[in-house]
Amino acid sequence: MDFGILSVIIFLPMFVAFLMLILPFGAKGTRNAAFLTAVVIFMLVSVVYYNFELYGFMQFSEHYEWISTYGINYSIGIDGFSLIILMLIAILIPCAYLWLWDGRTKGYWVSMLLIQTGITGTLFSQDLILFYFFWEAMLLPVFMIIGMFGTGNRVFSTIKITVYTMMGSLFMLISILYLGVAFFENYGFWSFALSDIIQIQNLSKTEEIWLFVGFMIAFAIKIPLFPFHTWLLETYSNSPTGGVFLLSSIMAKLGVYGIVRFVMPIFPELYKEFAPYFVWIGIFGLIYFGIAALMQTNIKKMFAYSSASHLGFIVTGIFSLNAYGMTGAAFLIIAHAMATGGLFLLVGKMEYNLGTKSIPDLGGIAKKAPMFTTFFAIMVLCIVGLPGTNGFVSEFLIILGAFGFSPSAGIVSAFTVLIAASFMFWMFQKAILVDSGNDTSKMKDLNLKETMGMIPLAFLIIAMGIYPDWFFYKIEPTIQHYIVDILEIRNY
Amino acid sequence: MNVPDFIYLLPLFLVIVGALTLMIISTFKTITIKKGATVTLLFLLLAFFANMYNLNSSDNIYSVYPFVEIFNKMIIVDTFSGYFSAILILGAILTILIGLHYFEKHKGFTVEFFSIFLFSLFGMMFLVHANELISAFIALEITSISLYIMIGFEKVIDRRVEASYRYLVLGSLAGVFYLLGASFIYGSTGTTTIGIIGDMTLNTFETNYQLLIIGGTMIFITFLFKIAAFPFQNWALDVYDGAPLPVTAYMAATFKAAIFGFILRLVIVDFDLIRDFWDDVLIYIIILTLAYGSFLTIVQKSLKRMLIASSIVHTGYLLIAFTSIGMIGESAASSIIFYLVAYLLSALGAFGLIAYISSNDHLRITYDDFRGFARIRPYMAAMLSIFMLSLAGIPATIGFIGKFYIFTGAIESGNTILAIVGILATFISVYYYFKLIAIMYFYKSVEMTNVPPLKGVAPLVIAGIALMIIWGGIGNTLIAYFPGVDFLIDMAKLSYESLFIG
Repeated sequence: MDFGILSVIIFLPMFVAFLMLILPFGAKGTRNAAFLTAVVIFMLVSVVYYNFELYGFMQFSEHYEWISTYGINYSIGIDGFSLIILMLIAILIPCAYLWLWDGRTKGYWVSMLLIQTGITGTLFSQDLILFYFFWEAMLLPVFMIIGMFGTGNRVFSTIKITVYTMMGSLFMLISILYLGVAFFENYGFWSFALSDIIQIQNLSKTEEIWLFVGFMIAFAIKIPLFPFHTWLLETYSNSPTGGVFLLSSIMAKLGVYGIVRFVMPIFPELYKEFAPYFVWIGIFGLIYFGIAALMQTNIKKMFAYSSASHLGFIVTGIFSLNAYGMTGAAFLIIAHAMATGGLFLLVGKMEYNLGTKSIPDLGGIAKKAPMFTTFFAIMVLCIVGLPGTNGFVSEFLIILGAFGFSPSAGIVSAFTVLIAASFMFWMFQKAILVDSGNDTSKMKDLNLKETMGMIPLAFLIIAMGIYPDWFFYKIEPTIQHYIVDILEIRNY
Repeated sequence: MNVPDFIYLLPLFLVIVGALTLMIISTFKTITIKKGATVTLLFLLLAFFANMYNLNSSDNIYSVYPFVEIFNKMIIVDTFSGYFSAILILGAILTILIGLHYFEKHKGFTVEFFSIFLFSLFGMMFLVHANELISAFIALEITSISLYIMIGFEKVIDRRVEASYRYLVLGSLAGVFYLLGASFIYGSTGTTTIGIIGDMTLNTFETNYQLLIIGGTMIFITFLFKIAAFPFQNWALDVYDGAPLPVTAYMAATFKAAIFGFILRLVIVDFDLIRDFWDDVLIYIIILTLAYGSFLTIVQKSLKRMLIASSIVHTGYLLIAFTSIGMIGESAASSIIFYLVAYLLSALGAFGLIAYISSNDHLRITYDDFRGFARIRPYMAAMLSIFMLSLAGIPATIGFIGKFYIFTGAIESGNTILAIVGILATFISVYYYFKLIAIMYFYKSVEMTNVPPLKGVAPLVIAGIALMIIWGGIGNTLIAYFPGVDFLIDMAKLSYESLFIG
């Protein structure tokens, strides 16, 4: 794989996007090109997945000089943790494209392509400045797609999410620069490479805490962790379907990814020291957002909170400092992305067909659209964590991890996972199953493309629930490496 | 040195000859604005190439006093002045190109304008070559007087004349401070030659430090006035707003670079000892400049005034690097130079494009006028977005790299607090720059009459600037022989070194 397969995966969508901007293709042509790109990338990613060796270090690395005066390099690579998120992205995006097939403009597709570049670039970066570069660059197409194609008070939502995430990013930038300078003072040459930055010796504890906070704010806003979630509701409910799909199923996960990739190796001591707080913040988020979701009648808002609730649980997993919790978190990232992403697509269709997303106005959809209902049910069951879905496996593992961390955390999380069940089943019954007398006759069932788009997700949700080992073995060495080498925990 | 002294002064000489030529030919009726601009460009290009020849001819760095028997050590030609001259000439070329359409459409402009334009450029180039306080003052005044005329050139419009007078009065007052400062310095050291002042402060015990510090501070006040830093910023908004847009762009970007070019030389070479005295004050000045500038920018409704007010914020960023000079001279100085280039490109692009859009009428352009602009002129909206992103310092633009250097330098020199304040100002700037993008893209279009189409030289040049900005943000030295970010910063470092070999 020495032709730079990762670079191709990053830049192909961007290249196509610019090509489409210049060439006089309409919305349809752009869409076809975008879909083709996504499929090609899926194939490339499959090659990467197949060739990925079973050890926990960076693979497929590429390295070019960029701004050599300051030791900033274009340096990318993946390990097991990035690999599974990459695989996830590669599967989700073409599926989503099938769903967004009709009625989108050219600008929409170009934005989607650019977002894909931003996401994969963020995922591969092994240099802090490069990471920041993609992290920020990702924001722009998101800004565009919400502002141009959103609903409701979209301009306000757009400015709000931009200002919010920008604030986090800028704190992170300060931390990155500070680390770079610290490295320079320590070793006498400039470097922002992650592998160099982790060797800094000369930071005092106070400095480390501030830097840690700088990074964590950026990631906590993106995830969003309580109390940085106030952008969430408006953004999710005013975004167009494609935007909210990417935000919830992929970009939120990048916040978690950032914690694991950067915060953990750079500040291993603080990571362990502050882990109890974050475990509890995660559990608190699980409960808080769960209760908030209970009170929503707008389906999109309910899913927004349910999504935040699960992300809190993922954070609990990665801070549980043991292999169960971390593997569970990695697994939940996938499970949740598929289920929530799928649900947002399904709801988007429902909103498009019926013009409403409010639960009291719905009902009786099961009869009109059996296929729709089936997939909806699978996604709901995955979110709830029914055995047989990957949602169960991951939640079970995180609860085990939480028990390993402290029994009280384990007990609380074991009970509170059930909150999801209460609102999900209630919503599913009210909105889909029971005939409430509302006129929902305009609801159409899935067409062929939409079905094709849902099948991979549903299949994986079940397959990963039944044979989780098939999917664990690629990530296991990486988790091992995190815990033993980076966090230096021996008895996990 | 086998190159004759004359070659070193050729860029300066070409510019002044160009100015005189234009003055003579402007009396002929057959010379239109377009022809005048062509002649101007011709001389500018010649000067640019002569300057590049000087920069390239010596393999490494150089520093000479041309015609030392005539000028004594008044004029210095080194890599530093060469690099700055390149920036200034480039700024002038771009100003002429992007302003061409504006100059043609507006009745007030005649060919003499270009002559005065070249005089002002001559003053700026002289300023960065000046190695002596009084010649620097002359250079500064040549520039300033030319600018007074250029601002009020469209004398049919009252606003222009008012701005011109205001600048004349205030600028002269600031000039007086400079002269007084220079005479104090002469009084304490017995010389006005840069380099020798520094030696005197180091070597003799008899130097009157109080007088030197007062003199230095007075010069410094003029400097703060000219770059519109707090508390001398208020004139900027009215004067720049009253000036024709291309002139505003020229002043905000190019003139600022020239001022920084001189003051950097003065501070780095000479004022080592007394710089510490200013550093504490400067920190407050920076914080206030950033805070007040951000506030001024947020409240503006007119796009032109917003860009002007935000130039005060950019001055604040530049001053952040300025405080770091004592600790990390080389990287601080080079980050200032780099940021000047980055700002020059972004500001010229933004001002130039707005000038082009508004060139068919005399309207003040407000944010609201740009509602849905992306639907009428998608390419122009895209370019304007690129400029806004670069000014806000978003990655993939040259503005990000510029801010990266400045903030890294601030942290490196121990001024983390300034870096944080700078970041906060950046954060606020996201609001007012993104607002324009949001307005252009997220609304239905309003009728915008008289927007010129995307044709002719000006839009092409503006598109070129947009590409340069992107290249500056992502480009590297992978593509051989094509200058990227590294080239600019390495060149800046060389020019810093050249200050010490004279």
